[in-house]
Amino acid sequence: MVEAFAVASGKGGTGKTTTTMALGMALAEEYDVTVIDADTGMANVLFHAGLAAVETTLHDVLAGKATVEEAVYDRFGMTVVPCGTSLSGFKEAEPERLRDVVATLAAETDIILLDSPATLGSRSAVLPIVLADRLIVVVQPTIPSLSDAMKVQEYATTYGTGVAGVLFNRVTDDAAIDDIAPKAERYFEGETLSTVAESETVRAARRAGEPLLAYAPDSPAAEAYRQAAASLSVQARDAGTVADRFRSAVIPDEL
Amino acid sequence: MNVPQGRLRRQRVVTDLTTPLERALDDELTGYIRLEPQDTLLLDSEGAGVLTFDRGIPRLVYHTGTDNGGTAALTDIAVAGPCRVELYELDRDALDEIQETPELAVDPGAPAEQLAGDRDLACRTRERAPEDDTATDPDHDAVSAFLDDEERIAEIKDAARAEAQSRASDWGFDI
Repeated sequence: MVEAFAVASGKGGTGKTTTTMALGMALAEEYDVTVIDADTGMANVLFHAGLAAVETTLHDVLAGKATVEEAVYDRFGMTVVPCGTSLSGFKEAEPERLRDVVATLAAETDIILLDSPATLGSRSAVLPIVLADRLIVVVQPTIPSLSDAMKVQEYATTYGTGVAGVLFNRVTDDAAIDDIAPKAERYFEGETLSTVAESETVRAARRAGEPLLAYAPDSPAAEAYRQAAASLSVQARDAGTVADRFRSAVIPDEL
Repeated sequence: MNVPQGRLRRQRVVTDLTTPLERALDDELTGYIRLEPQDTLLLDSEGAGVLTFDRGIPRLVYHTGTDNGGTAALTDIAVAGPCRVELYELDRDALDEIQETPELAVDPGAPAEQLAGDRDLACRTRERAPEDDTATDPDHDAVSAFLDDEERIAEIKDAARAEAQSRASDWGFDI
């Protein structure tokens, strides 16, 4: 039984990878979780998961040079598929192979989190959103972030992907968010999953190469992410059906 | 706002306003930048935003299409998509004539935060701004005003849906 979520924001700098890893660890207390770095152009998961030195990554799988199993790492109670950062790896990767990767991993996990690119500018960038069952929108309470998040949501729903909820991240003004969040909720499908304050602890975790929930499990931000995970009602689908759907996703033969 | 004609120093189309705002700060621009959205899908694309700078620090914002000033004008300017940026220099004396217009004033960091989504640049700008310029924090007001504008948000969402549908055929997605 599996559900695939795309963690997306539309705009960079919202803390998407931090959120993906934190939600993954929180959900891993109850579910079998697989995190895939689907941001093949600006990979980040490897730095958050202490995997910066690994040899085989999703790039190699997407280039047809390695099997999925070779790019899978057990870290922090999750299965993590990091992506590499080299430009050559990016050039050689064939994004459409992502559907096979997801289909293969779907057979052995409960939840797949796709850390998605912070852009809607290309077919490969949008692909994780198309492949996912539902979207988790990570948004900062600023106008560019909100408008880009709305754009991502409209893309997702146009392509038949649902919206699980919205997470307000890197919040600096607690009082203001109480006014802004309810107003923003009107424009997003799904519920508000949590509000996570900006904190030095989050940056320190990133520098340490550890997910926040491992680095500072008792921090307020970690607790806020756990709340978000608890708010997610996972709608498990039959793994075989999901795998078939991913494999048959309509992708053009040519880039 | 009646801005004196400045000397055009640079013009380009950008999708991210970080660079022009950063350049204005680092070059200690005294003058203004004119921002014209290129996305004709959005109704608010009519008119342009004008943002004045005093030695690199953003001071006033005005939108020629909506006649809004200050944070309301920031929300008019802050749309996703490409934008033509023209950077003009002015003598300080010429700028002084319009600087005392409180209804057009913005928090020095607000343009970086709200137009470029760049918090680090916003912090740097606030640190460089004279003390009294950081006394108010209108960011919340700008976001709140943006979220109150249901018509504008409907336009953004409609434009995104149209774009997604149009690209679906280009990209071979079956929707």
